[in-house]
Amino acid sequence: MGIEPGLGVERREARFAWGLAAPALVTILLVALFPLAWTVWESLHLHDLRMPWLGRPFVGVDNYVEAVRDERFRGALAHTLFFTVVTVALELGLGCVLALAMNRPFRGRALMRAAVLVPWAIPTVVSALLWRFIFEGRSGIANALLVEAGVVRAAPVWFIHTDLAWVPVILADVWKTTPFVALLLLAGLQNIDPALYEAARIDGASAWRQFRHVTLPLLKPAILVALVFRTLDAFRVFDLIYVMTGGGPGTSTEPIALYTFHSLLQNLRFGYGSALSVIGFAVTFALALGYVRFLGPGLTETRA
Amino acid sequence: MARAPAACYPAQAETAASGPPGDAAILTTTRSRPRPRRPSGVWLGLLLALGCGPERPAGPAVVTFPGSELGAEGRVLRGQLARFMATHPHIRVVQRPTPDAADQRHQLYVQWLNARASEPDILQLDVVWTPEFAAAGWILDLDRFRPPTDSFFPATIAANTWNGRLYALPWFVDVGMLYWRTDLLRAPPATFAELERDAARVRAARGLPYGFVWQGARYEGLVAVFSEYLGGYGGRILDGGRVTVSSPAAVEALTAMRDEIHRDGVVPPAVLTWHEEEARFAFQNGQAVFMRNWPYAVGLLRDSAASRVAGRFDVAVMPAGPGGRPSAALGGQQLAINAHSRHPEAAWEVIRYLTEPAQMLERARGVGELPTRPALYDDPALSRALGLPAERAREVIDHAVPRPVTPVYSQLSDILQIALHRALTGQQEPAAALAQAAGEMQALLDRVGLGRRRSADGD
Repeated sequence: MGIEPGLGVERREARFAWGLAAPALVTILLVALFPLAWTVWESLHLHDLRMPWLGRPFVGVDNYVEAVRDERFRGALAHTLFFTVVTVALELGLGCVLALAMNRPFRGRALMRAAVLVPWAIPTVVSALLWRFIFEGRSGIANALLVEAGVVRAAPVWFIHTDLAWVPVILADVWKTTPFVALLLLAGLQNIDPALYEAARIDGASAWRQFRHVTLPLLKPAILVALVFRTLDAFRVFDLIYVMTGGGPGTSTEPIALYTFHSLLQNLRFGYGSALSVIGFAVTFALALGYVRFLGPGLTETRA
Repeated sequence: MARAPAACYPAQAETAASGPPGDAAILTTTRSRPRPRRPSGVWLGLLLALGCGPERPAGPAVVTFPGSELGAEGRVLRGQLARFMATHPHIRVVQRPTPDAADQRHQLYVQWLNARASEPDILQLDVVWTPEFAAAGWILDLDRFRPPTDSFFPATIAANTWNGRLYALPWFVDVGMLYWRTDLLRAPPATFAELERDAARVRAARGLPYGFVWQGARYEGLVAVFSEYLGGYGGRILDGGRVTVSSPAAVEALTAMRDEIHRDGVVPPAVLTWHEEEARFAFQNGQAVFMRNWPYAVGLLRDSAASRVAGRFDVAVMPAGPGGRPSAALGGQQLAINAHSRHPEAAWEVIRYLTEPAQMLERARGVGELPTRPALYDDPALSRALGLPAERAREVIDHAVPRPVTPVYSQLSDILQIALHRALTGQQEPAAALAQAAGEMQALLDRVGLGRRRSADGD
């Protein structure tokens, strides 16, 4: 015990707290930071499991230079951005409509809310296979419907066209994830005080103005959360495309995650594959930071 | 438990350390000199004399083998290994389940071998992996066992030879073949032009949806099909260390493939998403006049319970274009020995047994796989076992062309697959796609030191 008992206790308590937190901190260090650091270190080496005779020399940033020059990687980056922007926009728009609909009182609302989650509950690989079957071959449902309705005369082979191949992929993702977005937004909607709408109605605000000036600003936190979740998720897209197109035709639907997987685990280029992972991580991290930096103030404002 | 038999087949390093200094010296020379036939023979003799000579070992040598355990193939293999162990009581073979998908098995092997695991002792290799594993030092050079290479098809031996040495023994052979309908045609086409004409005529007359079907998804199968068109037009992918896949013949071959799909409608565009099975389903349902596929389909197509073309098809060698000869992509499985195996001699005995004529005949009967020994094709038992005249299979195998024998085959194939798929899906002109692929492939070869300077001793 010291001369100032208060400080001593505080210090002891602080030390005790660190002691309690230590196992968790060490675990985080081991399972999160160590692999990350190891990947960065690996990315600075030439390490090709298939060519052990080349050794594992330190090559500095060579792998990163190769990635920047790699046309396939730049393509993968562009495909990932395209996929992210399109699917996130569609999912937010549709999710918002769905949430507004589910927020109104009607018979069987609870059932509706549960039913809407079904696509989200199906494993991605299964839903990807499902959508591939829908669009594959002459007898796929999509082609049968299109021909029946007279939209097209001959059934297209969706997965061999650079543009058309995106249609099933994006549809599948939107179908699967819109319910998730809708549910997040629904939670936000239910936090809005009904008195505000009443006040707006008394002031003579139209439905649109109510939505524009009451719903949207108050929904902003929920929208932000959905946006962050979905963007980061879409940016890491892998299983859906792996199952549906395999990145084809050629490499025209290949996202970063798939190319990284291919370099790392199929071609077993550990150095180069690690560099690609690090770039993917950096971009995702920058996106997350960007959201917090530019959209975060809005978030705190509305909360205040 | 696996350590017990080390008395019989000691690990090399261990013996080198514990044995007299002279032994260690011999070991070092065998490692550093290119062809130490004599010393290594002496060394082997010494090993046998010391370890297994007069007294019997305490327990059997355990050899692990990751063969397929599925279906008929698994049954045949289990039976053969059981018989082997009955006649070779000093060796026990333990099967180690591995994925049947080639990609996954390859990945697993590479992880094990990189870690210098001593198991599995025997490796089942796809034909295009042998040079990769040999160059990496992961599998033993089999010349030390004096394998009877003359009894095997030369093409299969060539595909398993790296730097003049044999690294794996061909177990069974796969070749790309042309399946054709005997009820619609009198004879198989000899040229691609004939095939296109026949396909168009029969389709128009019989209302068949497809003319010719093959494997066109972006995967190894597409390279196999392309290599057959390429051979038919007189081109090749590699010439020693020089990439020749952008030659005029290659451009012609790829253009022919594209035109069959997009101009003549002989080949349905859907093949660009197809693997072996989709093509087989189409042919089996009587929807196509011709199909390119591996021999496994013969047995399935002959099964009248599931197949609408049972008794109405035959196989032939693929047609040729101008300037080339009919070609069959060479596939198949090989058996090799892990370089870190503790029981290389026992492993070799297993391999020798599994590649005996009797075992090959049984495999042909049970699984429809083609033997790698030409002598068997004169045996009427083989025709009965395969369900097709053996000389027909023999004719196709005689046209077999190995895909490039190089340690970086998979990487080269990867580049080529993308180029082929881009050209066939109309994203690039064949000439441009092949020129770009050739550039990337050559850069890769040069980067890893397998480039042009080797072309002198190539072939």
